[in-house]
Amino acid sequence: MTNYRHIGRHVPRVDGPEKATGKAIFTVDVELPNMVYGKILRSPYPHARIKSIDPSEALATPGVLYVLTGAEIPHIRYAFVDTPRYPADEQPLAVDKVRYIGDEVAAVVAETEQLAEEALEKIQVEYEILPAVFTFAETLKPDAPIIHETSYESGNTAWEKWGVKGKWQLEGNGQAVANSNISAETQVTLGDVESGLAQADLVRTDTFSCKATAHCAMEPHAAVASYDSNTGKLDLYLSTMGIFYKRFILAQVLEMPLNKVRVKHTYVGGAFGGKIDVFPYEFCAAYLSRKLCRPVKFELSREEVFTTTRQRHPIDVTITTGIKNDGTIVVQDIKVLADNGGYRGSGPIVSYLCHGFSFPVYKVDNYRYHAMATYTNNPIRGPQRGHGAPQIRFAIDSQLDMLARELGLDITEVMLKNARQKGDVLPNGDYLGSCGLQESILGAKEKIGWSKIRGRSLPQDPGRKKRGVGISLCAMFSGAMYYPFTSAAVIKIHDDGSATLFTGTQELGQGAYTTLAQIAAEVLNLEMDQVSVVGGDTEICPIDIGSYLSGGALVTGNAVKMAAEDARNQILFWAGQKLGVAPEKLTLADKIVTVLGTDQELSVSIVTNFAILQNNGLPIEGRGSYKGYPETDRYPSLAKGKGLFTGAYGFAAQAVEVEVDTLTGEVKLLKASTHHDCGYPLNENIVEGQVEGCASMGQGQALCEEVILEQGLMLNANFLDYKLPLAPDTPDCAHQPVNTMEPRGPFGAKEVGEGSVAGMLAAVANAVYDAVGVRITSLPITPNKVLAALQKQKKEQDSK
Amino acid sequence: MSNQPVNLTPQKLVPLEVAVNNRTYLLEIKPNETLLELLRNRLKLTGTKKGCDQGECGCCTVLIDDEPASSCLVLALSTHGRKITTVEALEENGQLHWLQEAFVKHGAIQCGFCTSGMLLVAKSLFERNNSPSRQEIMEAIAGNICRCTGYEKIIEAIWQATNPLGNNTGAQLPKGGELFD
Repeated sequence: MTNYRHIGRHVPRVDGPEKATGKAIFTVDVELPNMVYGKILRSPYPHARIKSIDPSEALATPGVLYVLTGAEIPHIRYAFVDTPRYPADEQPLAVDKVRYIGDEVAAVVAETEQLAEEALEKIQVEYEILPAVFTFAETLKPDAPIIHETSYESGNTAWEKWGVKGKWQLEGNGQAVANSNISAETQVTLGDVESGLAQADLVRTDTFSCKATAHCAMEPHAAVASYDSNTGKLDLYLSTMGIFYKRFILAQVLEMPLNKVRVKHTYVGGAFGGKIDVFPYEFCAAYLSRKLCRPVKFELSREEVFTTTRQRHPIDVTITTGIKNDGTIVVQDIKVLADNGGYRGSGPIVSYLCHGFSFPVYKVDNYRYHAMATYTNNPIRGPQRGHGAPQIRFAIDSQLDMLARELGLDITEVMLKNARQKGDVLPNGDYLGSCGLQESILGAKEKIGWSKIRGRSLPQDPGRKKRGVGISLCAMFSGAMYYPFTSAAVIKIHDDGSATLFTGTQELGQGAYTTLAQIAAEVLNLEMDQVSVVGGDTEICPIDIGSYLSGGALVTGNAVKMAAEDARNQILFWAGQKLGVAPEKLTLADKIVTVLGTDQELSVSIVTNFAILQNNGLPIEGRGSYKGYPETDRYPSLAKGKGLFTGAYGFAAQAVEVEVDTLTGEVKLLKASTHHDCGYPLNENIVEGQVEGCASMGQGQALCEEVILEQGLMLNANFLDYKLPLAPDTPDCAHQPVNTMEPRGPFGAKEVGEGSVAGMLAAVANAVYDAVGVRITSLPITPNKVLAALQKQKKEQDSK
Repeated sequence: MSNQPVNLTPQKLVPLEVAVNNRTYLLEIKPNETLLELLRNRLKLTGTKKGCDQGECGCCTVLIDDEPASSCLVLALSTHGRKITTVEALEENGQLHWLQEAFVKHGAIQCGFCTSGMLLVAKSLFERNNSPSRQEIMEAIAGNICRCTGYEKIIEAIWQATNPLGNNTGAQLPKGGELFD
């Protein structure tokens, strides 16, 4: 492997000491002079018409400064998805109806947090309670109450306004959802399903379901907005994953020019997909700061974070798969139902992404995919790490295990037979410039001790605790075409040869600042501490695609690499001019330019000085940029799955060993082995951290995490009742990067931050089956479900 | 909007004497003020984080007389005459504490929001047990949620820093669950 100075090495995080000492400033830590505090009044009903709102008593309270209701801003509408087919359906505060428990009804600003909190109770709201729907069956009934009666005019279709073509979107013309609770639909057909079924030796149809889960970023959602009436400038501190996206939407709805809206840097205390959307509290902070000409802070309580930010979509997947006796998958017919709650959220995206994360893994010639997202009166659902991948991978690989077992095959052989390979072109045109699936399957299988453990545990064996192994595969995009479609980077070379990188990306914990600094330091051949990073500020940093869909390494990383190369080339050019030597004959290391094969050298300090004198004072600044998908100028169709999706896919195989306690039904994850093909790890330590974090989240989704809802009310909106993995649950976690050297990637790198959640779910379910012979098709695999299945199994055996 | 005077302290204030990070403060506080509010809002020690305000996440962990406690559940009044240690006290003269060094070195920090709580629990664990096992480390931090790391690197950092075999000899941390061969 190439011998790099920083790349691929275990470089400590650049933001480590700042965070270890408590000095790092997060949004919740921002305090500004003259600041006031906001709180939100929320709907106690899942579905109701607002008959009247009377804020007079609240307003009469000394210290209460403003009560904002939807009546003041009825025209404002925005949403994460905003296309001609799916026009924005969210309003910052309810105007006519509330559609879930927690829906925003009014915002109060007061001199203190406590006064604002107390004022909420003084706002009188009269509701007319409407019938509500919570399940797929209820919401899809022909006579179900319609949650969004009006078809909204598409006013501010964000992406197309930006000049990006959306040809695909116009094909279907208009909304897919007139007067029904269907919020989005995706349909894809490849090959011929009927002829595929005819070729199959074994066909199975099974249904799998996943509940809603919560992101649980440790920093609660918060926003501080500060408007200066003299300059007309609005400063924003937001706990966010994409500063340019938030600026774009907020500037648009506030009708402010982009140069007057600035998102300033704060560290983000975790996000996992849950901090992409523009939230009502952010709009309210911005709007009310402008109204009151004072800084306004909103900080959500943990209960509000659980219930009113976003959750992972509960999804039902029904799959019919046909397979030949030799293990070749000949047909797959997939039906997906996703519940996006009271508003569309990312419904159309998850409908599309369940396809996007299904088809890159196995080559299936005859394939039909139909997804529907529905409105219900449940909390809103949005992106969560993997965004559809955990749910669809759970379904596909659970069923594959069932099929393989029925045919008497080992699932890993079936996987190897059908898995995509490097050089494959996917049906939408995406090219797999790298694909380590085969190697990952073999590696994960070997590491977990597959052949030693698999099938060892038999139902008739005595002994209370039984062990089994399971495996699953996953795929994830490395960024895609979405607003603002590009990442740019600027590198300033200072007079002494040290450098500062300006990037619009945001540090959420994923290590972006560290890996980007490594890329710059590698190209410029500097020590790490000779490169500083300035990020997360819309005013001083060049535009960036944001930290979602795992584009950080590929998209932002390439932009930074190009900027560093540009700066290096300029240094070598001016050094060449000064020395009268061609730039190709020069090398750069530690702020010194050397003529190859000689001891003639020149400091970068002298070179920059020379460049400034020769070049009319222009200092050396490198610039670089990279687009979400270089070969396309349009975003893919969410409804038809057409168009190019991503420049490179990350892949992983995950194998686990579990122990099932047949007396209590408890499943303990003993070992988890992930072989993740991230192209090439830019930073070993950070890649390990991402994989371990993903695997832990996958462990939670497989075994314990579940948003428990009763008539739309979340019953476990706290960390005591919402079970997520704690330190004592940590398994022996092994991971091996599979180095496939993605040709598009900077130094061969691609996705690592999201993929390896998704393989854990089916791996655990398959391991439970391997241990005790019961198939759990609905996550999480709680002791209750295991016990019930074991009892059913026993009854069946006894009756034989 | 009302023009009446705004009463910012509706409750009667009570005196408090408390030592925070080796300095004794004389304060007047609201009787219902939590230790977390006192630290963050009054003393501006924002290294202590509010993750849930319900005593369940561990982000607000501080040491009270060297014992870890969720400062969101502690009434500031009850710390009268006691000694509080927050993350800000770990670094001395611009030098990171050895536990902080270990957290940075071993990748135990991602978003950083749980870090101060984790560090203080680790410090208190070490003072009771200067060579904790993997199991003892896992149990000590069981009340501190970390969503980023999956805990492995935090456990490793604490073990490497506290175990005399750790850093110097390059000994391997025993793994959790059932061991890989």
